[in-house]
Amino acid sequence: MPKFLTNINAISWYFLMPVLFIHFFVIAFPSILSLLLCLTDWNGFGKINYVGLENFEELFRDRIFKKAVYHNFIWTIMFLTIPVIVALIIAYLLTGIKRGQLFYRLVYFFPYILASIVNCLIWRYIFHPKHGLGGWFENQGIDFLSKSPFAMKETALYAVAWVDMWHFWGFLVIIYLTGMYQVDESLYEAADIEGATKFQKFRYITIPMIRPIFILSLIIIIIWSVPTFDYVYILTMGGPAYSSEVVANHLYSQAFQRMNVGYASTIGVMMFFYVGIIVGFFALLRRLGWEV
Amino acid sequence: MEGMMNKIFNFFLSFVLTAFFATSTFAATKVVWWMESDATTDPVVQEFFVDAFNAEHDDIELEVVFKEDINDTIRPALLSGSGPDIFDTPGASYIKIYQDAGLVKSLQEYADQFGWQDKLLEWAYNSGVFNGELYSIPKNYETMIYFYNKTLFEENGWSLPNNLEEVEALAAKIKAKGMNPYAYGSTGWQPTHEHLVGNYFNTYAGPDNVYKALIGEKKWTDPEFVESIELLRKHMVDDGYWSGGLETYYSLGWDDFNGEFVNRESAMLMIGTWGFNVTATNFAESSDDWDWAALPILHPQAGDKPNYQLATGGTMSVNAASKNPEAAAKVIDWILSDRARVLNVTGQLGYGAWLMPLHYEDSDFDPNIDPRQKRFLTEFAEATGTGNYGYTTWTFYPNDPGVHIWKDMEVVWAGDITPLEFMEESQRLWDKAREDDALVPVGKR
Repeated sequence: MPKFLTNINAISWYFLMPVLFIHFFVIAFPSILSLLLCLTDWNGFGKINYVGLENFEELFRDRIFKKAVYHNFIWTIMFLTIPVIVALIIAYLLTGIKRGQLFYRLVYFFPYILASIVNCLIWRYIFHPKHGLGGWFENQGIDFLSKSPFAMKETALYAVAWVDMWHFWGFLVIIYLTGMYQVDESLYEAADIEGATKFQKFRYITIPMIRPIFILSLIIIIIWSVPTFDYVYILTMGGPAYSSEVVANHLYSQAFQRMNVGYASTIGVMMFFYVGIIVGFFALLRRLGWEV
Repeated sequence: MEGMMNKIFNFFLSFVLTAFFATSTFAATKVVWWMESDATTDPVVQEFFVDAFNAEHDDIELEVVFKEDINDTIRPALLSGSGPDIFDTPGASYIKIYQDAGLVKSLQEYADQFGWQDKLLEWAYNSGVFNGELYSIPKNYETMIYFYNKTLFEENGWSLPNNLEEVEALAAKIKAKGMNPYAYGSTGWQPTHEHLVGNYFNTYAGPDNVYKALIGEKKWTDPEFVESIELLRKHMVDDGYWSGGLETYYSLGWDDFNGEFVNRESAMLMIGTWGFNVTATNFAESSDDWDWAALPILHPQAGDKPNYQLATGGTMSVNAASKNPEAAAKVIDWILSDRARVLNVTGQLGYGAWLMPLHYEDSDFDPNIDPRQKRFLTEFAEATGTGNYGYTTWTFYPNDPGVHIWKDMEVVWAGDITPLEFMEESQRLWDKAREDDALVPVGKR
């Protein structure tokens, strides 16, 4: 038997190969294909014509794409702040609870295990102008939520993000909690002896000690914010008037509604490069000695 | 011993060969059809088309596979050279793309053989003809009309409007009573907006002008189209005709607006003929009565009689990779050849599905058919037969300009662009589609 087949150090490689193989065909190969398609005017079926950088020129003129990029940026900022802050506080408070903690964890995590369509329908009913909170307030003689925030262009993006954040923050609670349990208890005991307040312990012990997991959560949020799609698609389809359109939504519309697959690939390539830059940035920080 | 072995071998070989040829010769040819799934429609289709066909035929076995989101599943199947023998598509614009890519089989020889041109309404047949050959057959036809609460109209002494002035006067009276003129909403189906755009194009700009724009003899930026969009914007945004205003319209789904109509929150429902079934069902539980009418003409340039917009709701085609195209064509012909059976099926579905565009005669109808439904079927056939028809965006628009209509109409309503800018973008996309040879067939008017 050839030596390389029995080499003990290579066995891990052999076990990793099937997954690598599947990834190549499912992810790498279509990605490479997409890189090529962005230089064509393919409609998804017929003849493929090479159009050079025409799609990129079109992309930089595309007002909807620019709007969508901006919305993705807003989306990322919202997810980097609201659910992170809430999850950090709740996770920290939970570490102080001995009885019933599991109940709270289950309750907070529950929206995360619900399918996006279920979450969306729940909130669509809550914000329904007649059957939801708006209708209830109207019966009380109060003009509040009489219009669904999903239906107003000023609020649609924030309303959709709210629903997605409601589903997501419980996940952050669990990973922050896991990180907090890894912190050496003696550090808190020493702080107690020094008379530190709860906030001081949180600020000077918890946060620095969970930094790797905290940074990881930020990376996840930034990367996951790029292809965000389902909540927007289900709740508003990017409307009204593109006020909640995000990049993935625009890509979908171009590829599957307008049949501009070549152009949609160009959008996909831009998303790919954007994620690449983010990953590269964090890799650079790591090389500079940051605990990322 | 050797002789004995030879005899056994010969006997065995003969048995195997006989069995093989017998099964090859007498086995039924299987035809697989991928059909858009619908919980109400599927069992009816299975019983009255599939089971009935199989009971009548020994040589062909029909199997229908009901698929969710057929458009998403058929695409990879066709591209990989596999898939069913017959498949559904949402409309002619998709057939155009499949035909360009060589993924769909020409049905011309079967159309000639079975006389399909005589069986189908002329406009419906033409909607599937690309470069002189037939590639698809409409499964269903529909048009835009409006339903109204007849009891409410009689109680208030309201009469049906015939022109823009009367429409606006009636709307004012209805609003004065604390109701909305029309019920409608777009939650769950954003392309709902294109129904309204099509209505205004055909009743304000007029079908002759729409036809000229479709074939490139007119610009979409011409005043009649821009004014149509401006009028729609005014009625939607300024006057709040649909469910009380733009935001409510965006928030209401199918059940909501149908409920609003039957509960007297709105006096009328401007919708496609697929609304017959749900309207009849809802009003059956109400003390009110309903009826329908053709959309009123909003400008003299649109003609002096109401027109019916032509629309096909889904088509059937044969896969270019089908190994049994002739058997598939026989299946299609079997369906087209029995008008009473088609009417029976569509009747069970409230005439909202499988209303095939055939030349129906009085004797084809079930004597128990709702007279309002029958009136529609006969009036539509008469009006369209005399050329009094318009065009829907979802049947006669290529993909890109079609999506633009319903996606960007919201931008006009939001006040971010003007009706003229909206139509300029429309013209740009039409020019591009024309340049790319992506237009769908429009029969000569």
